[in-house]
Amino acid sequence: MSDGPFIWLNDLHHVYLRGTPLEVTALRGVSLEIHRGESVGIIGRTGSGKSTVVQHFNGLIRPREPGKVVVDGQDLSDPRVDVRRVRQKIGLVFQYPEQQLFERLVGDDIAFGPKKLGMERAERRERVKWAMEVVGLDFEAFKDRPTFSLSGGEMRKVALAGVLALQPEVLILDESTSGLDPRSRKEFLDRMLALHSGHELTLVFVSPSMEDMAELVDRIYVMDDGRVVMSGTTREVFSQPERLREHGLGVPQVTEVAHALIARGIRVGQVPVTVDEGVAEAWRILNS
Amino acid sequence: MEDFELLRHITIGQYLPGDSVVHRLDPRTKLSVFLFITLAVTFSLSYTANIVLLLVTLWLVLFSGISLRYIFSAVKPALPIIIVLAILQLLFYGDAYTPYGMTTQTLFQWGWIHVTNGSVQLVIVSALRFVELLFLTSLLTNTTTLTGITHGMADMLRPFSRIGLPAHELSLVATIALRFVPLLAEQLEVIMKAQASRGADIAHRGKLQFVTTARQVAVLIVPLFIDAFRRAEDLILAMEARCYVGGRGRSSFVRLRFGRIDYVAYACGLFFSVAMLVFRKRFPF
Repeated sequence: MSDGPFIWLNDLHHVYLRGTPLEVTALRGVSLEIHRGESVGIIGRTGSGKSTVVQHFNGLIRPREPGKVVVDGQDLSDPRVDVRRVRQKIGLVFQYPEQQLFERLVGDDIAFGPKKLGMERAERRERVKWAMEVVGLDFEAFKDRPTFSLSGGEMRKVALAGVLALQPEVLILDESTSGLDPRSRKEFLDRMLALHSGHELTLVFVSPSMEDMAELVDRIYVMDDGRVVMSGTTREVFSQPERLREHGLGVPQVTEVAHALIARGIRVGQVPVTVDEGVAEAWRILNS
Repeated sequence: MEDFELLRHITIGQYLPGDSVVHRLDPRTKLSVFLFITLAVTFSLSYTANIVLLLVTLWLVLFSGISLRYIFSAVKPALPIIIVLAILQLLFYGDAYTPYGMTTQTLFQWGWIHVTNGSVQLVIVSALRFVELLFLTSLLTNTTTLTGITHGMADMLRPFSRIGLPAHELSLVATIALRFVPLLAEQLEVIMKAQASRGADIAHRGKLQFVTTARQVAVLIVPLFIDAFRRAEDLILAMEARCYVGGRGRSSFVRLRFGRIDYVAYACGLFFSVAMLVFRKRFPF
């Protein structure tokens, strides 16, 4: 789409514990934009301000002068903005989202958001059913299970379904895969990708894992010390391993291998960023 | 606009690093002086005595290098309690209290409401005492690390272990409780944000609405309790894994030492508080 960005941040500053002797500056002028239908990654080491940035997206933190946050044409610095509508459009899933579950039964917990939106019973049921299918929970089998008897992975799916039940246009995953075993993690990310391509859901990933990023996103913003220090397509960003290392980050292992091969004088065509690309490239080199 | 940053509004219990004399005092000195002054506050009912106590407390705050604005922000969350207390006292305590050396004078009477000079004094003095105690508690916790307070407490309670008081355990319980306050506040903040992200109207309640439905609170309380239990279990495991037994024979890294300033501060605090207690009925108002 050619119209303006869906989420637009300009010169955002943020200080935690403002007005106390324990102030911490988290953001020092962040500008970025996210367009409809994109899949964008935000990476950076711990304390670089990634989470603080995404909490501005749905009005959990409001911008202060001179910063600006505009979501779908609405300026979030205006106190009259209905943040609940913004939050319906922009779903935010936190790290360890299973910690937000509170209802006794799985179905009720997922229905919490739709209920808050004032939906009728039948409609709510449809939403819950849809969300559970998307995350891979069988509706009939799980809807009446006690929430707190589920396994960690299942609880996480329930929590994700709780956010998806609002049918947001943008889904932000703030390190939401941490603590999952490799298989659940892969399954989780595959489902997100399917949503992205199937439902034109805009995705924002916050993650310290380069491998996830390479598989999932089109564009990357690299943050360090409260600023955006690099940005570009995934390939552009990962083609500069030295600069990434300066900011305490690395590149995916396949990319690292490719760079090592180049350093030894082996001719590598396009530097791979995903494992699949790496395999293809390796075959090409071996066959030539 | 909603504000999820809870820790910004909790100032009691937050240690602020500094290098003032108050910071450098032995925690036992601080705890003792704190106890003495608290006693003086508790038994002083006259206007003048409380003004003296308030001024002394404020002077101590300034002396410790903590900004007045920071210490005053501790009073703000307590205001509703102070106001409710004041109203109740004004309405129902008309005949309960007569200031020393005065006779009860009725200032206002309407039906069963009976306001006297005694109840007016009670209202003002109670509010003052509340503020003084808040300042003292803030001052103690703002200038003393948690470890300092624990070791100080354990040390001061040790003589009582002869009569079977579990001194070490008590101070450990107190420490853990205090330590959990900021942790739980942080966790509550995360939960509030997570629930708001999926449509809960957390901070849209009116400012004066104290009563919320159980449903509304469950959204926060259930996850918070689960988290608290999980943390407690983790703590137990961590302590057992390190064979923690505590109590007798346990040495510690922090060695408390009484210095010259401690003796001076201790003596001053004791003298001041005893004077306030002995002369509490001699204050003119």
